[in-house]
Amino acid sequence: MVDFFALGEQILVMAFLVTLGYAIGMFFNGFARKITARIHNRVGPPIYQGYIDVFKLFGKKTNISHGWIFDLAALFSIAGITLVFLFLPVAGFSMLSTDGDLFLILYLLAIPALGFALGAGASGNPNAAVGIMRALMTMLAYELPLVMVIVAMMVHYNTTSLAGIVAAQSNMHWAIFLPVFLIGAIVADMALQGMLMEKPFDIPIAPHEIATGPMVEFGGKHLGALMLYKMMGIVVETTLFVDLFLGGGVILSVAQYGWLAYVVNFLVWFGLITFVFFLALLINAVFPRFRIEQALKFYWKYDALVALLILIWIFVEVST
Amino acid sequence: MIVEVLAILLGTAFLMLALNKFPKIAGTIAFFVSLLPFLAVLSWAGQMGINIPSYLNLLHFESMATYNLGAGSLLLEITPLGWFFLLLLASLFPMVMLYSVSFVRENAGGFYAAMLMTMLGTFGIILAKDMLTFFLFWEIMSWSIFALVLRGHDRRAIVSYLAFGSMSAMLILFGFMILYYDTDTLLFAHMHLAPTRLNLVALSMIVAGFAVKGALMPMHVWAPHAYSKSEEPFVAFLSGGLSKLGYFGMMLFMYSVAGMGLLASWGTFRDVSWFGYSLAVVGAFTAFAGTILAVMQDDLRKLLAYSSIGQLGYIAIGMGIGTPLAITGALFQALNHTFFKAVLFLAAGAVYYRTGKWKISELGGLGYRMPFTFLASLFAIFALAGIPITSGFAAKWLLYEAAIEKKFLFVTPIMLIAGVGAFLYAYKILYGVFLGEPRYDVKEAPLGQLVAMWILVLPLVIFLVFPGWVADMAAPILKEYGMQAIPHTPFVITTSLGVYNTLAVIFGIIGTLLLALVLYKWKPQEVVPHEDNYLAGEPPELYENISMHAAYKYYEPFEEVFLPYFRSGAEKLWEVVLYAGEILGTGARKIYTGMVEDYTMYILLFFIILIGWWLLW
Repeated sequence: MVDFFALGEQILVMAFLVTLGYAIGMFFNGFARKITARIHNRVGPPIYQGYIDVFKLFGKKTNISHGWIFDLAALFSIAGITLVFLFLPVAGFSMLSTDGDLFLILYLLAIPALGFALGAGASGNPNAAVGIMRALMTMLAYELPLVMVIVAMMVHYNTTSLAGIVAAQSNMHWAIFLPVFLIGAIVADMALQGMLMEKPFDIPIAPHEIATGPMVEFGGKHLGALMLYKMMGIVVETTLFVDLFLGGGVILSVAQYGWLAYVVNFLVWFGLITFVFFLALLINAVFPRFRIEQALKFYWKYDALVALLILIWIFVEVST
Repeated sequence: MIVEVLAILLGTAFLMLALNKFPKIAGTIAFFVSLLPFLAVLSWAGQMGINIPSYLNLLHFESMATYNLGAGSLLLEITPLGWFFLLLLASLFPMVMLYSVSFVRENAGGFYAAMLMTMLGTFGIILAKDMLTFFLFWEIMSWSIFALVLRGHDRRAIVSYLAFGSMSAMLILFGFMILYYDTDTLLFAHMHLAPTRLNLVALSMIVAGFAVKGALMPMHVWAPHAYSKSEEPFVAFLSGGLSKLGYFGMMLFMYSVAGMGLLASWGTFRDVSWFGYSLAVVGAFTAFAGTILAVMQDDLRKLLAYSSIGQLGYIAIGMGIGTPLAITGALFQALNHTFFKAVLFLAAGAVYYRTGKWKISELGGLGYRMPFTFLASLFAIFALAGIPITSGFAAKWLLYEAAIEKKFLFVTPIMLIAGVGAFLYAYKILYGVFLGEPRYDVKEAPLGQLVAMWILVLPLVIFLVFPGWVADMAAPILKEYGMQAIPHTPFVITTSLGVYNTLAVIFGIIGTLLLALVLYKWKPQEVVPHEDNYLAGEPPELYENISMHAAYKYYEPFEEVFLPYFRSGAEKLWEVVLYAGEILGTGARKIYTGMVEDYTMYILLFFIILIGWWLLW
């Protein structure tokens, strides 16, 4: 018999965490703009600008759609990215992450991306199509070093589950403290830069070339949905990085410290994802943009080469 | 009983030739006859430990027997492995026939006759109990395909199919001969191969022969031509269905005939035989290169052909690794590929049927015009790319898990990146054909074609919800090879490394979609015509002839990067083989001088060598 009370409790907790995730995502939007502005020696918008933007866009009276395929973008992007968030261990707390593993997360990440791409394609704007082409190619580019590092980690920890990898790093045995995965973290951080679409890899959006690319035809609530997707995307991607290399931000064991551990771990997790995002922002603020084939060459030649060294390292490790 | 089915298929094939003038009638009859193999599969389900409702068991085939045909005998038997592959082919076949009724016009009788003959061949291959029966039906199948490829009137396709088909048959035949020499029996069940080097050569030849049909690189050269120049229903069956026969053959000979122990006796690498490991590496290379080549195609059929080659590579990976996990994954991938690739080829055919265009850059905007075709292909593309909204993910997941379980550090990233590459060409199909600027005012595809496509989409949804059912079907096969089935329930598959709970994914998607819907429905929206975008409803007249559809050379930067590495493709390799053959042939021809004294000398030399050898022995 299904325990409805426990199920309801679990759903409530998940709803709370999803709300928290979106709140952090919106905060990150304003944070990013403020930081970039300060580096550029501007004043910049207030730090809560993300909240204002989203509420404004969802409050618009006129919303223009180009048909039902166009609407899929808004639906799939929000649904998909929320689902990915549910499958991630957040600060060591697992919502659904025991029901799926890292491969599932990698493939679930494609749902919002493809849904977004469907809507952008359906708008019929050539800029959107070019933007999607660039986005997919950037994805192909950064995925190679990323999956190489991930495969190395899976073989090293002998699990494919992200929750398992986080658990293996408990008691401060963070992966980044191992020399091989310190290099791995650098490789993956490069990939993260492409994943977050920050400069020098903001080729898909490229506001000066293709007028924000995929987003060009979206307005009102559709744009609001896509903004939410992008904000949550930042939380998801940085959390993925933190889970892989920084032990998911777990520093106190729940069994020992009870609810205090949850609070502390959540704070540490928040601090770590903010730090990871902050690093990406620093790179973003000072670099110009790559061309698409330059990005592909950067990832497949240099980043993947270092990742190959990591694979060889792990190969030697398992062979002996 | 089974011979009656074969006879009906054969008889109907002849009847089709007589009905050449009446394509609709011929098609309808062929469709109903094509249901027979499917009913046969259902009636054997009980034997495989799979319970189906009794009203589905119409034919009541319980036992198999030997049939004497003249001097020899035809030995047929159903095995779990055969049943699984027959299930795939026999469920695809009627849908392809249903689709053909509205698609095939020209010389329809010949088409249906050849199609029925391919099914006859397939039936025999899968049920064969010995090598002779196997080869006989293999040739029936191969030559019927040739008849269907001929209908495309493309010289390259015909010649390459003929060349590679013959090569495949020769390799298989030589392999069979060596095995017969070694074991003195034709029956699969009685063959106990010794771990000799000769048998290794024989097995390699057989696997290489089957790799031609399974379109593994570098034996794939015929496939892009044949897939892209024949009629779509046939291509759907060729790519979705008949290519699996290559993998069926590989599996039969690698695991049923030779067995794990024998393969391992030629050396192992992390408990995987070198034989299997090489197959896995070839499969991974095929998956990667096929994907890259698919991204570069502009012809819709060529793109699908290369994508098919890439996806088939995954099956080879699973078969090569050969753990229970990997074999289940390979079978699952075979199942998915059968249905999603068939749907995609059929959808491409439906698009052609309405627009008369094959080039992706010339199509566009059909999504709103042909919504049901679009949705069917969307599902198929989700399955192809492995998005967890369809069953496509479970197969890929099993294969990745199997590779990680064996700590394959270099094969796994290649598999994963090939999976990412699949998103690229998948979106090229979606955008180029169905999205973007509407350029054709066409109707939805005919009902028959839609029904065929949507029925083929069903398995992709069913096995999303019940991935464990495939593990159930794989269990008797694994049991035959002396392996345990992977731990599973209908919804959850567990491995030593991770868990895949499909219910969590499904309820997660439903829940999050509801959340998105609530956010989305908060405010009303108005739908505006397509031109009302940044052009403000007034497309500049100057540009009227210029398309706003950006599909021409869609992945141009990608091509610039990758084309130099793929320019000298597999065809160059085979040209080298051809050149070597020419030199050898020219040399051999010099023996025939046309002078009697030379020939006398040869005979004399022959006897001297013979006597000398006899004396020295």
